[in-house]
Amino acid sequence: MRSIFKRNKKKSSSKDRQEDSQGQSKQPINASLSANLDVIKQKTGNSSDIVFRTLKMGRHSEIKAAVVYVKGMVDSQAIHDFLIESMMNNRDLHEKLIREKTMAVITEEVVAFGGIKPVSGLDELLSSLMSGETAILVDGISEALIASTRAGDKRSIQEPTTQLAIRGSKESFIESSETNIAMVRRIINNPNLWVESMKLGKVTKTDVSIMYVNGIAKDEIIKEVRQRLKKINLDGILESGYIEQLIEDQTMTTFPTLYHTERPDVVAGNLLEGRVAIFVNGTPFVLLAPAVFIQFFQSVDDYYARFDIATAIRFLRIFTFFISILGPAVYIAATTFHQEMIPTGLLIIVAAQRESVPFPAFVEAVIMEIIFEILREAGVRMPKAIGSTISIVGALVIGQAAVQAGIVSPAMVIIVSITAIANFATPSVAIAISARLIRFLFMVSAATFGFYGIILALIVLTVHLCSLRSFGIPYMSPLAPFIPTNAGDTIVRKPWWMFKERPRLMAAGNNVRSGENQQPQPPEDREIKMNAGKGERNES
Amino acid sequence: MEKAKISAYQLFVLIVLFELGSALLLPLAIEAKQDAWLAILIGMAGGCCLFFIYYGLYHYYPDILPTEYTQKIIGKFLGRILSFLYILYFMYLAARVLRDFGEMLLIFAYSETPLFVTNSLLIIVIIYTVRKGIEVLARTGELLFVFIGLLAVSGFLLITLSGVIQVTNLQPVLENGMLPVVKTAITQTLYIPFGEIIVFAMIIPYLNRPEKLKRTGLYALGVSGFSLALVMAMNISVLGVSLTARSQFPLLSTIQTIQVEQFLERLDVYFMLTLVIGGFFKIAVFSYAAVTGAANLFNVKEPSRLVYPIGVVILLISMIIASSFSEHIEEGVKVIPLYVHLPFQIIIPTLLLFAAYLKNRNKNLN
Repeated sequence: MRSIFKRNKKKSSSKDRQEDSQGQSKQPINASLSANLDVIKQKTGNSSDIVFRTLKMGRHSEIKAAVVYVKGMVDSQAIHDFLIESMMNNRDLHEKLIREKTMAVITEEVVAFGGIKPVSGLDELLSSLMSGETAILVDGISEALIASTRAGDKRSIQEPTTQLAIRGSKESFIESSETNIAMVRRIINNPNLWVESMKLGKVTKTDVSIMYVNGIAKDEIIKEVRQRLKKINLDGILESGYIEQLIEDQTMTTFPTLYHTERPDVVAGNLLEGRVAIFVNGTPFVLLAPAVFIQFFQSVDDYYARFDIATAIRFLRIFTFFISILGPAVYIAATTFHQEMIPTGLLIIVAAQRESVPFPAFVEAVIMEIIFEILREAGVRMPKAIGSTISIVGALVIGQAAVQAGIVSPAMVIIVSITAIANFATPSVAIAISARLIRFLFMVSAATFGFYGIILALIVLTVHLCSLRSFGIPYMSPLAPFIPTNAGDTIVRKPWWMFKERPRLMAAGNNVRSGENQQPQPPEDREIKMNAGKGERNES
Repeated sequence: MEKAKISAYQLFVLIVLFELGSALLLPLAIEAKQDAWLAILIGMAGGCCLFFIYYGLYHYYPDILPTEYTQKIIGKFLGRILSFLYILYFMYLAARVLRDFGEMLLIFAYSETPLFVTNSLLIIVIIYTVRKGIEVLARTGELLFVFIGLLAVSGFLLITLSGVIQVTNLQPVLENGMLPVVKTAITQTLYIPFGEIIVFAMIIPYLNRPEKLKRTGLYALGVSGFSLALVMAMNISVLGVSLTARSQFPLLSTIQTIQVEQFLERLDVYFMLTLVIGGFFKIAVFSYAAVTGAANLFNVKEPSRLVYPIGVVILLISMIIASSFSEHIEEGVKVIPLYVHLPFQIIIPTLLLFAAYLKNRNKNLN
């Protein structure tokens, strides 16, 4: 495993070197220590959080050396114990160092650190310094050592906040991508889990890593992900959302074509299906590519619960998605255009309610929907202490008072509430938000052409969804194009012993998922054994 | 030809949706009275024979569109003219279905809305779809096919539960012998909807596995034929012959008889869903054939650009094709089958197949 890491690091550092050499002429490290320190100070604008610890080492303390690091980003305890201490105390170093004039001596005999590498360029030194590594400079040697002392404060691993599950791991990702990668590795203990790293963002130099299971993920998709990431040329990558918007296939759509998650078990499950994960340092949200429509209706619980329960819940989710899109639109169409389609008893009730309302159904619905959206937006950003105010204001003022004042009809309040709750029942926020937007289009088409408008809008929506692709994979697969062996994990969820194949469009070569005869087969002679047990007890 | 491939299942779905498209809604083969279902089945058998003609032509030229192989069979000049006529034929049929569709919508639900508005809305949706290409159209078909299937099953259940089916309405079978039934089949159901499968000659070159074409086509024709016969038999058994014949949309009348527990009633939305989705697919397939044919014939690099003008032309033809709905229906029943469908669906393809046979036989001899 370590070798994989090392190799990838080498790759990324060589890439950096190339980029730097393209950007500006490469400045070598000077032989004089004080000159080097001056240059670093000058280049970093004398920033106060950069620590220059000068020391002398060797038998007669003749060799001047310096340890440079950024406060707060390094493990200062380790620097003290394994770098400074051993450098100052190692008294036999002097002659060798004078004789050979290389850093190799220090690497071999002084530094008790795992990750260490020599650098010769100043820019490389600076970029390592800024990412939390420690530089060791020695007077008279035109080379520096970089020790990987990255540490610093990070949030502890907590329970997920956006993707809750009743059953399953309680871990969620944190902001450090190193920790996140390790969390996935803890689940998939396999040397075929490969990681590639790169730095993106001209100014921020953010660590971005892609992870996949070699032999399961398709080479074309990995290559495509790599290419699209390399094309990114932005000053800063602050969140995986930046990357999502820069590498998606289709920008003119409200539907997400990449999946983001904060659960390591979701990432692991998707890697096993042949997807590629993209980790971005600084955010707990990991991207998964390619994404398909039905994926946004899958929750980890589905796979942990038994298949009949999971299937029933999948049905419910898809039903609620339709409600959250169509709810108000159908109400508008039925009350404005197609009253004859409402059963008479219900029609009388609705008509009696609407009698006192001064607005047409469409206006009423739009007002209520917009008020609800305002409530929701306010609720998201409200400090917790005053959060309950919103619900009181929302429930009492909007619900009760507006109806009593005759501004909206009670039926409309019911419709809007059902729509809102149905919207929350979608497991993925990304697709719930697009449903929120599309709902308004459906309301407009219902208000202008009734059910005809709704049906046309539905057809356009279907065509649009079918035309989307995510990294070349049709967005509606495996439903359209219909792939029978993979359709068992869409609207229905097959029992695990029937999952024979990975998604065909995504997984390469190694497509077989489970062995033969996975169906549980309890021994047929169980009853006999129980009788035998009874018999024994009787005898004793 | 765009770079696209569709699977056999997708082709199957497209053919079924296309065949059911508008035929499901009309009083199909009602001249055969209570034996309409039989006339439909005979028409289907004839449709299968026609399919073999088109299949034979495809067999000789599996990789190119008909607009190209007509030029190879009967020469560049004549072939181009013929191809052009076929493109016009597809556009005309698209316009006919669009007119049917718009008029139905007006009569059934939107009596105050101008025909132009309903038609142009649908054609906008179709332009959007056709521009995305055949793959997207096929995938959309796959999803909506399941939807229509669910509608059909639940509809059948509800009608059965309402207890309005009277099988005696279908008797006596063959009251006046076979002749009227066969006559209806040959003069009507053979052309609409089964002969219209000729439009798929423009689509089958996209099939990814050509060896599956024959089975797929026959299955699709069979499924659509049996569904149509079943629906027509159901209409007649619920409404009776005379009411079915007088009704403009027997399926709508049948659906309106659904009444379960005083609650599930007036499910007109079922009819509207079938109407719009079916009409959409039929017109979209015709338009796609016209667009891809025109692009091929005139060497247009980006076929998607042709969608807009052809869509607008279809819309305009649908408006000026007839001055009233009854004129439109009269044309459709009396004139079109004999003077348009017969040559375009049967005579020309048969002659082409014969010519292609002679040509390829000579090649083999040499």
